[in-house]
Amino acid sequence: MTKRHKLWGALILLAAFHCLILFAGFFAPYDFKMQNRDLPFAPPAHLHFVDAHGTFHARPFVYGLRSDLTDPSGYATDPSVMHSLRFFVQGSRYKFAGLFEAHLHLFGVEGSGPIFLMGSDGYGRDQFSRFLYGGQISLLAGLLAAALSLALGTVLGALSGFYGGWIDAALMRGGELFLALPWLYLLFAVRAAMPLHVAEWQVFLLLITVIGLIGWARPARLIRGVVLSAKERNFVLAAKGFGASDAYVLYRHVLPQTYGVILTQMTLLIPQYVLAEVTLSFLGLGVGEPMPSWGTLLAALQQYYVLTSYWWMFLPTLVLIPLFLAYYAAADALQERLKSVPL
Amino acid sequence: MAGKTLKMDSETQFGAGGAESLVRIERLTKWYVQRRALTRAEFTVHALDDVSLTIYPGATLALVGESGAGKSTLGRCLALLEKPTSGEIWFEGKDLLKLDRKELFPIRRQIQMIFQDPASALNPGMTAGEIIAEPLAIHREGTNAQRRERARELMEQVGLPASAKDKRPLEFSGGQRQRLAIARALALEPKLIILDEALSSLDLANQELILKLLADLQVAHSLTYLHISHDLRLVSEFADEVAVMHDRRIVEQQPAAELFIRPRSRYTQGLLAAMPSLESICDGRLA
Amino acid sequence: MIKFATKRLIHATLLLIAVSFSSFALLQLAPGDFFDEMRRNPQVSMQTVNTLRTEYGLDQPLPVRYERWLRSVLKGHLGFSLASNSPVTPLLRKRACNTLLLSGTATTLAWLLALPIGIWAAVKRGGSADRIWGFATSTILTVPDLVLFLALLLLAVRTGWFPTGGMVSAGTDDFDAWGKAKDISFHLMLPAMGLALATIPVLIRHIRASMIEALESPFLRAARGHGIPRARLAFRYALPAASNPLVSLFGFSVATMLSASALAEVVLSWPGLGPLLVESILSRDVFVVVAIVMLSSLFLVAGNLIADLLLFASDPRIRTE
Repeated sequence: MTKRHKLWGALILLAAFHCLILFAGFFAPYDFKMQNRDLPFAPPAHLHFVDAHGTFHARPFVYGLRSDLTDPSGYATDPSVMHSLRFFVQGSRYKFAGLFEAHLHLFGVEGSGPIFLMGSDGYGRDQFSRFLYGGQISLLAGLLAAALSLALGTVLGALSGFYGGWIDAALMRGGELFLALPWLYLLFAVRAAMPLHVAEWQVFLLLITVIGLIGWARPARLIRGVVLSAKERNFVLAAKGFGASDAYVLYRHVLPQTYGVILTQMTLLIPQYVLAEVTLSFLGLGVGEPMPSWGTLLAALQQYYVLTSYWWMFLPTLVLIPLFLAYYAAADALQERLKSVPL
Repeated sequence: MAGKTLKMDSETQFGAGGAESLVRIERLTKWYVQRRALTRAEFTVHALDDVSLTIYPGATLALVGESGAGKSTLGRCLALLEKPTSGEIWFEGKDLLKLDRKELFPIRRQIQMIFQDPASALNPGMTAGEIIAEPLAIHREGTNAQRRERARELMEQVGLPASAKDKRPLEFSGGQRQRLAIARALALEPKLIILDEALSSLDLANQELILKLLADLQVAHSLTYLHISHDLRLVSEFADEVAVMHDRRIVEQQPAAELFIRPRSRYTQGLLAAMPSLESICDGRLA
Repeated sequence: MIKFATKRLIHATLLLIAVSFSSFALLQLAPGDFFDEMRRNPQVSMQTVNTLRTEYGLDQPLPVRYERWLRSVLKGHLGFSLASNSPVTPLLRKRACNTLLLSGTATTLAWLLALPIGIWAAVKRGGSADRIWGFATSTILTVPDLVLFLALLLLAVRTGWFPTGGMVSAGTDDFDAWGKAKDISFHLMLPAMGLALATIPVLIRHIRASMIEALESPFLRAARGHGIPRARLAFRYALPAASNPLVSLFGFSVATMLSASALAEVVLSWPGLGPLLVESILSRDVFVVVAIVMLSSLFLVAGNLIADLLLFASDPRIRTE
């Protein structure tokens, strides 16, 4: 596979995944809050085409669930109850891409039987739906935090590199302060400084700000390096010779040199920051119940009985891995491209 | 040394009876402090030491000397790209070093610089048309359409096809890039153009071509050139006047003809002696 | 050497002071304090809360509090933990030792494995062995630390090979010193392995890269031209040349190890600074939080300082001042 194929493959995968998450409400059969108290820790459903009598059904279906304490999972399927899969059903209300309300879901089942594609958690909530909604929180947090970090890092790094002098010294010393702490401890410390009991959306914004603020130092250093070498280029000098102002030179000649670095950093930072949000939520320092960050989904695994008996609770982690892989592949490919650009 | 004959004409605006000077550099000095990388110890770098130079309009003054003598620094100070530590630069009756940014802005149109390496002097991300029009844009001259038109004109003047205006610098050859740089320098109709080793990176054929172009442009636009070079052979072909720099000072300044035949300073004599002349090479062969 | 060390030491101290002040200020400026929970409790009167606040000095202005704190730090007292109602220092001492034990073991384990593998991959670069290692490291790298630790936990619980959770088994007070040491080591295995696994891939990559750079340098090619056998080449020629970036890598690995250890300690239930930090944040136990942040910064700075000194000792180029 050539490098180009790798890059495009990764980008397509990322785009598909992000689309899925963006339209979580459509793809998820249930609301993330919806509980089924009588079906806690139900295993993932199997889709069948052939029923117990050997008849083939064109439309796939799931069997109903009933409690059965003789079975190790606590459940048994009831072949007498069949729920057909239907597409484009009307279901619970959700906000389409967070903008306007809709009721249309990609799929659902007839009747009352729930379809748990990824099983259910302790409150009987559909893990698949929660996974999709959780992606909205974790991915969005990662993206916004990365954007914040990069914006801050670029501005400070560019100022530092372009003007030098005391600005440079002050900013680099300040950056050293941020780099002097192991990032997780720094994350905790800044999180500790923020109020603990706040409304849902405020927590979200808070998390983004925290994660984004601690990470400006490394990108700033990189941008500073690029700016330092760019401002010595003769075409910058020539522009100055014409009488161009500092702002013009920065905007027209220096900053365009940084775009490659910014893009690459973006692809590297996003998975890191998504992970930061997941870690914080996992430890209870991020979004709280019932908000389904991927971290809170995984938090249940801290209890032994969940870890050993309910394997499907692990599934969110498996999906994290390809996501990160795609980002790293994209970052790799971008770095290769950067190197080949003649400067 | 085929081609051009040395100008022996004593009427080319020299001396007290001649026209007024275009630029008068007085006692320019520049030094700065640097740190050694590992030890952090400071040491002073002297770049210019009490340099005075006068350039007359319409002339082609060559500034020669070995590397490190301070030629480039002088050129950059004159082009207002660097600030000297002390001294004066008189241009059109004003000391440029005393002016502030705003006052300096219109004067920058009059003095332009062409660099040694054209590839680094042109932004690789911009098209040829954009590069040439940039000085016009900075000085807010004309509309977008007018600027594009002017760029087209300038390209034709320097011998580049106007159809190439959408190409990027890397798509041109070295000689063509230098023409591009010249076109850009002409955009604001300057009076003085400083060429900092502008021919050094070109092959011999291109050097001759560009020299011809520069000579034509000088006549067409009444330009004055300050030509910084370390290549004495080349200088002998086009210079009216030569100034020799050695060890951060001007050691000699003469009309070209006199310098080459009757050099006054010992250093210049040494320089000329070291220069291989075509006759001596040929003599050696044929003997 | 002394001059160099002194300069670095001063720099490190200034950095620590800046970190301490920043974290102290940050935490004190945060809205809410330790007694927030108490305030919500209707059974406790506001007056009691206020009295308690005054007692603990929480109503003083920031510079005063910092100054008092700094003074006591210099005396060796790191403040008072409101949650556990005891001074911070002894509380931290045990936990810090545990964290150091874990980090130290994991670092040693990681380098013991990564160094030979990295060198081997570099020597056999381009070959199938190198490619396999490259694939393995890339795979482990993409797995987030959190997932790695959870997976290990699952493995341990399912197979019962390792004790999970805690540092000692029940009833070990009766053991003798050797028994206790063995018990602790057993419990150490899982977290140390997890931590090592999390950091090994990055180490292997960097070691391999540094070794390759050394192996492809001109002086080494000349040595090969002299017919010096490959093993000798690698160890006596290339490795010393690569030691400069490797020592820097060591300093860097200390930093990542500390970060990862916090997470490992929480997930794999090792009683180190990590879990304590999380608890203290949740209960707003300000002095503990500041102390732990300071301590982790101290470890990091110390690690880098040692790396710098090692570099100074090993690389003569840095000595020529």
